[in-house]
Amino acid sequence: MSRNNEGAAWTILGYLLSGPLFWGGVGYGLDTWLGTGYFLASGLLLGMGGALYLVWLRFGR
Amino acid sequence: MRSMYSFLAEGDEFVPPSSKDFVLPPIFGDNEYTTKPIFLVLLSVVLLSVFFLMASRKAAIVPSKLQFAGESVYAYVRNDLGKEIIGHEFMRFVPYLFTLFTFILVNNWFGIIPLLQFPTMSRISFAYVLGIITFVVFHYVGIRHHGIVKYLKDILFMPGVPKPVYILLTPIEIATYLIVRPLTISLRLFANMFAGHLLLMIFILGGEHLLQGAIGLKLVSPFAFAFGIALTFFELLVQCLQAYIFTLLTALYIGGALADEH
Repeated sequence: MSRNNEGAAWTILGYLLSGPLFWGGVGYGLDTWLGTGYFLASGLLLGMGGALYLVWLRFGR
Repeated sequence: MRSMYSFLAEGDEFVPPSSKDFVLPPIFGDNEYTTKPIFLVLLSVVLLSVFFLMASRKAAIVPSKLQFAGESVYAYVRNDLGKEIIGHEFMRFVPYLFTLFTFILVNNWFGIIPLLQFPTMSRISFAYVLGIITFVVFHYVGIRHHGIVKYLKDILFMPGVPKPVYILLTPIEIATYLIVRPLTISLRLFANMFAGHLLLMIFILGGEHLLQGAIGLKLVSPFAFAFGIALTFFELLVQCLQAYIFTLLTALYIGGALADEH
């Protein structure tokens, strides 16, 4: 049982990393392309939100 | 040797160890495939083969000390990492997990074994190769178990979500399974070995440097050495832990790929 919790911890860590990584990356790309400054922050937030949603979908419901 | 050189070159200035100290020159001529880490890997393979052949050669009901040691490691990996995490199909993966665990463990130990004193995995390519092997294994296992379409569908589309939300979630899943997993498993091992070795170098080379300074500095030098020794034992802990975590994550990924639910 504790091993499963350990597994959950690593999976959650992976999601929380890749969410902001991907959508933050998209935001950064948009910022660079359009010369704006707010897509990076929005992307990071969106990614973090998506990651948390995924964690909830998998472990919370 | 390195610090002697830096004293001659830089006077009394202490040159802290840096990432340059991890780039070791080739041993034979300028053939880049004959550096110390390469020989350490070969040595680890020889040591492991000899140890486990010796331990299992004269297997008896009442085991010798050697057999007992070998079997303890094996039983630990099989039961605590294989059986508990992967589930009923675990026996197929025990050879890989066992090889992985002992290989990483011995190569990490090289970091504090006198005279060798270089953790192989502090060169990132070795960690990357292990990460890539694990990556290939768990995806292959998943594809073989579920068929490629169902496996990809399970990864990419979390059930029970309104369709438009997949635009947000699917890229995160792809990034997790294809990039973050192999990258973090490698980087975790590499960074721990790299940082640990750097820390030991700082305290031990620093202690040596203090010893060559004024009398006041000479007096504090033993403290630097003592801390270096204490950190060496701490490193032993980290080395075992990292071998364990790498194997644990591999088992978790394999178990996840075999699981029938997402």
